Amino acid sequence: MNTKLLSLNEATRTVNSGSNKVALLDNINIQVYEGEFISLMGPSGSGKSTLLNCIGMLDNFTGGGYTFLGEPVHSMKEKNRSKLYKEYIGFVFQAYHLIDELTVWENIETPLLYKSIKSSERKALVADMLDRFNIVGKKDLFPQQLSGGQQQLVGIARALIGKPKLILADEPTGNLNSKQSTEIMELFSQLNKEGVTIIQATHSEKNASYGSRIVNLLDGKIVPE
Amino acid sequence: MIRNHFKISIRNLWKNKTLSLLNLIGLSIGVSSVLTLLFSVYTYYTADEYIPEKDSIVYLKTFLKDGNDYTEVPYPLLGKLVNSSTEVIAGTHMHGWGNIWLESEKKDFQNRTDYVDPEFFDVFDIPLKYGDSKTALKEKYSIVLTNKVSQQIFGDINPVGKTLIGADTLNLKVTGVFEPISPYSSFRIGVLLPNTVLEDNPNFIAQTNWNNSFSPVYVRLRPNGDIAKFKSTVNQLVRDNYQDPTTIADVKVMPFPKMRTDVIPVVDIIITSSIAASFFILFIILVNLLNLNTSTMLSRTKTIAVRKVLGSNKRSLIVQYCIENGILVFISILLSGFLFLTINLPRLNDTFGPEFGRISFDVFKDYPIVVGIVIIGVLSTLMVSIFPSLRFVKIPVTYGIKGKIQQIKNNFLLRNSFIILQFTIALLCISVAIILNKQIGFMKNADLGFERDNILVGNIDLDYKNIDVAQSKFNALLNELESNPYVISVSTSQAVPSDYYFNYTIYHDPVNNKDVRTRRSYADDSYLKTLDIPIIEGRHFNKNLDKPDEYPVIINEATLKAFGWESIEGRRLNFKGNQNSGHPIIGVVKDFHYQDLQNSVEPLVHIYRDRKALKAHRFLTVRVQEGHEASIESFIASTFNTISSRKTYVSSSLIDKVSGQYLLIEGILKSVNITAIIAIFISCLGLFGLISFSAKRKVKEIGIRKVLGAGVFKIVILLSKDYIILVAIAILIAFPITWYIMNSWLDSFAYSISIKWWMFGLSALIAFLITSFTLGIRAIKSAVANPINSLKTE
Repeated sequence: MNTKLLSLNEATRTVNSGSNKVALLDNINIQVYEGEFISLMGPSGSGKSTLLNCIGMLDNFTGGGYTFLGEPVHSMKEKNRSKLYKEYIGFVFQAYHLIDELTVWENIETPLLYKSIKSSERKALVADMLDRFNIVGKKDLFPQQLSGGQQQLVGIARALIGKPKLILADEPTGNLNSKQSTEIMELFSQLNKEGVTIIQATHSEKNASYGSRIVNLLDGKIVPE
Repeated sequence: MIRNHFKISIRNLWKNKTLSLLNLIGLSIGVSSVLTLLFSVYTYYTADEYIPEKDSIVYLKTFLKDGNDYTEVPYPLLGKLVNSSTEVIAGTHMHGWGNIWLESEKKDFQNRTDYVDPEFFDVFDIPLKYGDSKTALKEKYSIVLTNKVSQQIFGDINPVGKTLIGADTLNLKVTGVFEPISPYSSFRIGVLLPNTVLEDNPNFIAQTNWNNSFSPVYVRLRPNGDIAKFKSTVNQLVRDNYQDPTTIADVKVMPFPKMRTDVIPVVDIIITSSIAASFFILFIILVNLLNLNTSTMLSRTKTIAVRKVLGSNKRSLIVQYCIENGILVFISILLSGFLFLTINLPRLNDTFGPEFGRISFDVFKDYPIVVGIVIIGVLSTLMVSIFPSLRFVKIPVTYGIKGKIQQIKNNFLLRNSFIILQFTIALLCISVAIILNKQIGFMKNADLGFERDNILVGNIDLDYKNIDVAQSKFNALLNELESNPYVISVSTSQAVPSDYYFNYTIYHDPVNNKDVRTRRSYADDSYLKTLDIPIIEGRHFNKNLDKPDEYPVIINEATLKAFGWESIEGRRLNFKGNQNSGHPIIGVVKDFHYQDLQNSVEPLVHIYRDRKALKAHRFLTVRVQEGHEASIESFIASTFNTISSRKTYVSSSLIDKVSGQYLLIEGILKSVNITAIIAIFISCLGLFGLISFSAKRKVKEIGIRKVLGAGVFKIVILLSKDYIILVAIAILIAFPITWYIMNSWLDSFAYSISIKWWMFGLSALIAFLITSFTLGIRAIKSAVANPINSLKTE
């Protein structure tokens, strides 16, 4: 078996809604190894997105333990945490979330800027990525000028540019038609074969089937298989 | 990274073109006003810097027992002081004695003339552009010019060593030219002449005694000298020599650097209020920019969140936002610099008048202003960027990415107070402008009691070189005018309406035992007829009946009333204290407005003079047939061009002269108008920002309401009503203040309009229309938006 990428140990997230405490995530235990392709499934409100956000360190668990590459995330300071996700995690969103003011090239380049990578190196990396995704011809276009599938392609390229160990994808095909969906899922599959660990949240059985493991969530709890 | 920030900033500014442009305009106008105010304050404070070691210079000031004071002292005081005080290094008089005419190459020039002692430059070691200050005023017939006068007479050359003919008789050698002097300086000088020139003048010598205080005196004391000792010497000399110690309380020693504010106390107020005003303007435009920025920040919450996910830290986001605002602020500063140099500075100069030189902007001299404005620019940028962005970068990524912005709190009270304040000022300006406009219109169109159409007024007081030649040519001109078929009437007089001297004389009526102060003017037999002023008792002057050497007079009604007379029968005008002198009264004219309507009609006396008395009269007044004004005017002007004189003949229509009396008020009206426009513009800018903000916050609410059936109008009302209420509150505050200010101001006019409700109504309407327009643009945009789109963003 590969090395362990992350593990959640009785991880919980509760929020206050009025005077009640509501558990969005309840005692989640999960181990993710490098090279896995996990599909999170479950109905709306079951906690898929919250779990992804918490794993991605955009949000915090309110209880339990979270270890990422052997480091205890739950006891880290905000600064170190963001350093960690900057280094190892890439995000793909349902609504793509490309920056409207930036061209395709610049969108893909942005994470490298925040990692303070030299200009010449950035150019080489971005050019490689464009090449790989066959979007060289689109590099000077702005997101609004692209189709949804193309935008998501750029979104994935942007997530990959920093060479992350883990890709978190929240309904990556939710806004796409079936043909585009298939293309994107094929791409994820390909990436996974190249060694990238992927966790995706999805409603679609078909999309889930691309994964190596399916985790079902209901009301913030993992449904035992 | 920085390059990237700049690129993004420029794209963002470009994306919000309208808003960026509005911001740019608002900022540029605001900053240019701040720049102008700060520049004039700075110029004021540095205007005297060309005078070295001015801290050890003092001047003397006379205080009278009746509370009055003046900066003049008797002429002999300085000589005694220099001799008897050990603290004095040097002293100089500096007084006028009529402005001397200077002739160079057949051209005449007249400028302010000050007579000083040869030690002038020992007191004021002012650097000279040309010449040597050590010797400049030592010789009797020498003259030192200001740069301005030198350029006027000689152009750009060095005139030292050249000769000017002074008052037709003196050969004055130019020995020095000052560097340009700021009009804000303590000194408003034209040319300096040594006092020794005046010593040949018996009239002057007759005044140089201890009875006459006519000469300002400046003294340079020893550095670290004993000022108390100097003061006691001054006091001793005053006690010993003043012949009338009953009127003079004290002669005080005053520091020269404080002289400007001492002589014109209002300067201090102007300077303080300029500083306050510039801070206020700056504050208002910054608050606006802040409001607008907050509203645009909303559309950025998503981008901010995405950037954070991509690994950006807060600092980098804030830096980017600072750069974006910095670009805006510094472009505005450049624009405002341009506005300042091309519009504001020339206007500033116009208000001081050209006679004392213009202030100019010189980067090398005035770099502190540049540094200051750059610092203000940087601080403003930081303020308007950091406050809003701090609030937004703190939003958790998980909210931001979904565009959830409802939880951002606002300080509504503070913000609403600003809106009210801004609109109160705007409304104040609008209603003041309306009232002022009405009053000016009233004064210009009122019945003044005399005819002013088709009347030409020429100035014939021209310093003729040969009065006899001038007189004969003038007589010929009068004859020709009288026989010209297009000339209805010709007259000469010492004064015309709008230009009467303030030469008050007290007349005494022994019967009623009453004193009346009147103004006086000489007029020929047709002056009152030419202006069509009706006689209500007695008759007009008549050259066959009246003799100039009997000084017959026509008085106005006001004089009659002031004496309490029913009729002029059996009355004479007698000088107070001399019952044998005086004037026979031959008629009474109806009161006419010989001065502007700010003043009431005071007692006025016209004294008969022959029409041809060129020396007594200042004006030639000609009433012509309509359509012939231009030809008659050019005919008169061409005649005067053949008479050699120092001044050139100028003429204008009586209508222009009368309207000209209101130039100052019209100037005030103009600046009120501009202030009103700027105030309403800036206020609306702020409103626009606020409604954009709330429209974005309420996108969902609007969508839901529309789905539930609300119409566009309802939505517009929903978005605008809060702001309309703010404007209404501003109206309630502004109107009583305006009413109070304008009422007391109108009280200072002898003839004024009364404030009517419609004037306030009109300004409220203007404010409402402009506000509704501003709000409407934004509100309608949100109201007509498709609810499907607005609901989908959730």
